[in-house]
Amino acid sequence: MSDTLDDSGVPDRELLAAELVLGVLAGSERAAALRLVERDSHFAALVADWEEKLTPWAAEIEDIAAPPQVWDRIAAALPAQAAASAGWWQNLAFWRGLSLATSALAALCIGALVYLGTVPQKAPLVAGLDGGGQHHFVATIDMARGSIAVVPAAVSADATRVPELWLIPADGKPRSLGLLRADRAVSITIPPNLMGQIVSNAVLAVSLEPLGGSPTGQPTGPVIASGRLTTL
Amino acid sequence: MNLDANRGLIVAALSRVRSGDRSALHTVYRLTSAKLFGVCLRILGERNEAEDVLQEVYMTVWRKAADFDPDRSSPMTWLIAITRNRAIDRLRATRRSRRMEPIDAANDIADATPSADHAMESMQKYERLHGCLDGLAAHERAALRGAYFDGNTYEDLAARMSVPLGTMKSWIRRAMIKLKACLEA
Repeated sequence: MSDTLDDSGVPDRELLAAELVLGVLAGSERAAALRLVERDSHFAALVADWEEKLTPWAAEIEDIAAPPQVWDRIAAALPAQAAASAGWWQNLAFWRGLSLATSALAALCIGALVYLGTVPQKAPLVAGLDGGGQHHFVATIDMARGSIAVVPAAVSADATRVPELWLIPADGKPRSLGLLRADRAVSITIPPNLMGQIVSNAVLAVSLEPLGGSPTGQPTGPVIASGRLTTL
Repeated sequence: MNLDANRGLIVAALSRVRSGDRSALHTVYRLTSAKLFGVCLRILGERNEAEDVLQEVYMTVWRKAADFDPDRSSPMTWLIAITRNRAIDRLRATRRSRRMEPIDAANDIADATPSADHAMESMQKYERLHGCLDGLAAHERAALRGAYFDGNTYEDLAARMSVPLGTMKSWIRRAMIKLKACLEA
């Protein structure tokens, strides 16, 4: 789309930003404008500029104390504060992914406990896979079953490429673990020859590959997310 | 009412939220939730929905604190933008705007006049915006108010002011162009 001018001489984009911030758009028009904010930094800057211009108007809106249960609900939805001293818990990407996938993760853990019928002797390994704020997965290893469950937290589906999961052990050579889905959790059986490499600090990475997976056995597309395995 | 009163505190707390600090989010909440709840309630007009949206807003702040750039925008601008977007999304998803009574441009009055004990910068911005809004025609100002405070769409506003949709679009667009020119003058 180009910055065409309407009959007033003002660029379309400028007016669209004004309409979006004012709030008069609805339906597909609003959705398209919101998508454009994500995609187009020039348009996002126009939107930010209008937000800055109109914000003082909000001073007219009366402050109203929110009832205490609102914070209680927020606090309950946040991930628990970790007691560990390692650095991973300070990793925002991990918590972001985890906060988005907490319920799924909890379901997985409960599932694992039910399956085992007992508390597992080994702490589960998990990894939050982050890629610059846009792509997140949370991976949980079930050592007893030799499988890895990967939950998408904030991933856009791509019509022409699929996310592929890689294990990058200490030798730095990626091994494919299988294909992921952007729209639902996937459970992958870990090849027995790789089980020994599934240890704390091993890296998991996700690349975008042609449909059907990497044709070469090595990542060919962009790496959109990565993270280290750590004990929960 | 002063949107910039605790700017430094909010910016500092947001930077700690980025590293996953729950107590920092609570600080942001304590400093800003009354204003943001007011915004939610003004647009949604219903407490349960306003509470739901307020919760969503702070979960968004938790996840997206890294997107906030204190060099480019004020924290309240960022927070109010998130809040209005969430509230409008909720409004659009559930029903038409709550406030649909006819708008009489002749009776266009402000919700409240902010008190005078503001930090100077915030007060100056408010007065500048108001000066420019006062320069618009009464029907233009009334339409902008309906959109900003009631979450009205073009269609809602055309119905409330009994004009064709095309007329409403050109009113709003012309008003926004004038507003921009005045604010940037």
